[in-house]
Amino acid sequence: MSTARSGQGRAAIWNMSPTPPRLIIRDSPTHVGQYIGDYIAKRINDFAPTAERPFVLGLPTGSSPIPTYKHLISLVKDGKLSFKHVVTFNMDEYVGLPRDHSESYHTFMFREFFSHIDIPPSQVHILDGNAPDLISECNSYEAKIKEYGGIELFLGGIGEDGHIAFNEPGSSLASRTRIKTLAYDTILANARFFGNDISAVPRMALTVGVATVLDSREVVVVVTGQRKALALSKAIEEGVNHLWTLSALQMHPWALIVVDEDATAELHVKTVKYFKSIERVQDEVEAIHEKLRKEGKNEPVGSME
Amino acid sequence: MISSNGLICFTNCLLPLEDGSLVQRDLWIDERRGTILDAQRTFFLRKERPDRVIDLKGNVLSPGFMDIQINGAYGFDFSVYDGDDEAYRQGLKTIAERIVETGVTSLVPTIITQEKSLYPKLLHLLRPLSLANSAALLGWHAEGPFIQLAKRGAHAPQFLVPAHERFASFEAVYGTDNLADQEDWLMAEGSDVDSVGVRIITAAPEIDGVMPAVDELVKRGVVFSIGHSIATTDIATHAVQQGARLITHLFNAMPQLHHRDPSIIGLLGASPHLSVPFALPPSGSSSVSHLRGGSLSRRLGTKSAQALLESPKPTSEAFDDLETPPQTPLLRATTSDLSLVKGKAADMAFERPFYELIVDGIHSHPNSVRLAYSAYPEGCILITDAMKILDPHLKDGVHEWRDGKRFVKEGDKLYLEGTDTLAGSVVTLDKCVRNFSRFTGCSLGEAIKCATFNPAKCLGIENKKGTLRPGADADLVVLDRQGNVLSTWVKGQEVWKKD
Repeated sequence: MSTARSGQGRAAIWNMSPTPPRLIIRDSPTHVGQYIGDYIAKRINDFAPTAERPFVLGLPTGSSPIPTYKHLISLVKDGKLSFKHVVTFNMDEYVGLPRDHSESYHTFMFREFFSHIDIPPSQVHILDGNAPDLISECNSYEAKIKEYGGIELFLGGIGEDGHIAFNEPGSSLASRTRIKTLAYDTILANARFFGNDISAVPRMALTVGVATVLDSREVVVVVTGQRKALALSKAIEEGVNHLWTLSALQMHPWALIVVDEDATAELHVKTVKYFKSIERVQDEVEAIHEKLRKEGKNEPVGSME
Repeated sequence: MISSNGLICFTNCLLPLEDGSLVQRDLWIDERRGTILDAQRTFFLRKERPDRVIDLKGNVLSPGFMDIQINGAYGFDFSVYDGDDEAYRQGLKTIAERIVETGVTSLVPTIITQEKSLYPKLLHLLRPLSLANSAALLGWHAEGPFIQLAKRGAHAPQFLVPAHERFASFEAVYGTDNLADQEDWLMAEGSDVDSVGVRIITAAPEIDGVMPAVDELVKRGVVFSIGHSIATTDIATHAVQQGARLITHLFNAMPQLHHRDPSIIGLLGASPHLSVPFALPPSGSSSVSHLRGGSLSRRLGTKSAQALLESPKPTSEAFDDLETPPQTPLLRATTSDLSLVKGKAADMAFERPFYELIVDGIHSHPNSVRLAYSAYPEGCILITDAMKILDPHLKDGVHEWRDGKRFVKEGDKLYLEGTDTLAGSVVTLDKCVRNFSRFTGCSLGEAIKCATFNPAKCLGIENKKGTLRPGADADLVVLDRQGNVLSTWVKGQEVWKKD
């Protein structure tokens, strides 16, 4: 999985045998947001990004990541984190919706995140759903990600049907950035943002593919609320399945899913207990990584299984 | 401190929106162009973000206040011209520079009834004026001379005139140039296309020839305001149908609310039942006498016009009233279908006019202020109607006035020494906003709306002033959460800051 990531000092740690996604359970969406916010801040600060070597971050929209954004904003305001040398790529955008529309993902990202942090506008990338040539827009988006050496960390959320970005059930797990028709479920779920008028909901979107997400060196997914519980169960307790695209995360060597208690409702008790027990071990593993990196060693530390 | 890319972000602040709500949101402005920015477009299209960020520490960032009726301040009276243009301009400059400490960033200088020959000159001197670091003077508000003798207030009775020649009479008094079409009037000053300028005329629609002139005045971009009038309900309603869109200092210088003929004040409750358009006979004078059906003479019956002329004591408009006899409205009623939808008013044949309120606690009782606001919140405009002695630094006590007279200032009360005669208003607009919130129980954001968006909308300039819309002038006032002015900005520059 690491062949495309040459030139990175940390490449070796990805050579370990793939681990299933780690699962972190927190009491509430707010706590989930704090955990992920702190986690991303630590990743960025450890990376020590510069203008020449920026940290490349993938970002989602939707209600789940809002607590994370809030926490990241507070870290920036407190001077504990800066996005001066962070480059972002968003997951998706509606097709044909004006950029200034209150429900466009440009508007969402500006309102919920970018306006409050110190990121230079030139380092922000969001797919243009109004581009005259949508296919070349998608291709150049992939090319741009490559130019930056790939995405360091992709933050994601999921839909009730388990979709990650707009990779609706049935999407190819090898998919790349492309035009997607939205599933009826998603259109229904989004109608509330368009005055409950289903006909006003855009039918198409541009979205990064499942493979685009899996290509990033790390994936962090936020799953909160009981309505996402079934999707979470399908994603981690069953096999890789293109009808629950999040399950493709099982193929990723370094994925983290952070959920609240409500989202665990459909999981086996055994699953929940297992992940809670290994969280402590996880902390220890990370501490070892840290130590080795400081000593300039990059030996794999093995899996946590 | 200058922002290196000329953009400023105000953060950690509450913004009053056009619906009266206060929301926590950032505001981006372009300090070089002096305008408010669409932050999102600036970010994604211009690919810039402000280099300078100002933390307002939770305070309120409001559009600058707008005073559309103010007679003078800081010792200068807009109505006094002694033949020296330079001295007059200096007076304008002084007020424009100093008034910003009260949060006012634009005002409409108001002149009371003058000797006829003075108007063309005065109104010409009151062309729109935007000086650096000063509030914008938007144009002029002429109160009189086409007003009702019985409700003249402080206006000199000998200068009041009828408009026998209708619009031509207005041109004869104010000067043809000053009543030119909006575009021509603005162009005459050589101003750019973006500049705003406004003209307001307060007149009594029942005065001979006034009603037939309303339409033409409105066509030329003049805001017609009903005031200093004893118009019956029918006449007042008709004036609104002709295009009148404002009531001058509601409650003052007009008949008090009588339930059988609510007159001008009653326009705030204008019933859809009676608002069908109707045609008046073409002749101005006959139409009015026909409409009033003799009620005006009955109204004046308690005091003869001559007696009013001879009345020696200057009386305050607030306490100068005539008895209002009962009057049955003559407007035709409609029989429209009843609405089955809760909370939806039937279609009105006309919009109720905006109305000015002097909220100093003296010119209108707090109950009256709340009554008016409850009836029609969207039309409420706060004004000071301040006299030239307006100056927040002026101490309480006895001060020299004019002609050897002295006045006593006691807070916002001002009366002639040795009398209980009110000598006008000395309240500042920021205080009116605070008073208004307390008097009506409305939120600070809703009170702010009455001193910003509502007056701008009345004047048709709400795309440039009185709003935080992108593209509007960056005229701003920072208030603490109790409505006290902390700093004032005009066209993107800080022009005043509290010590």
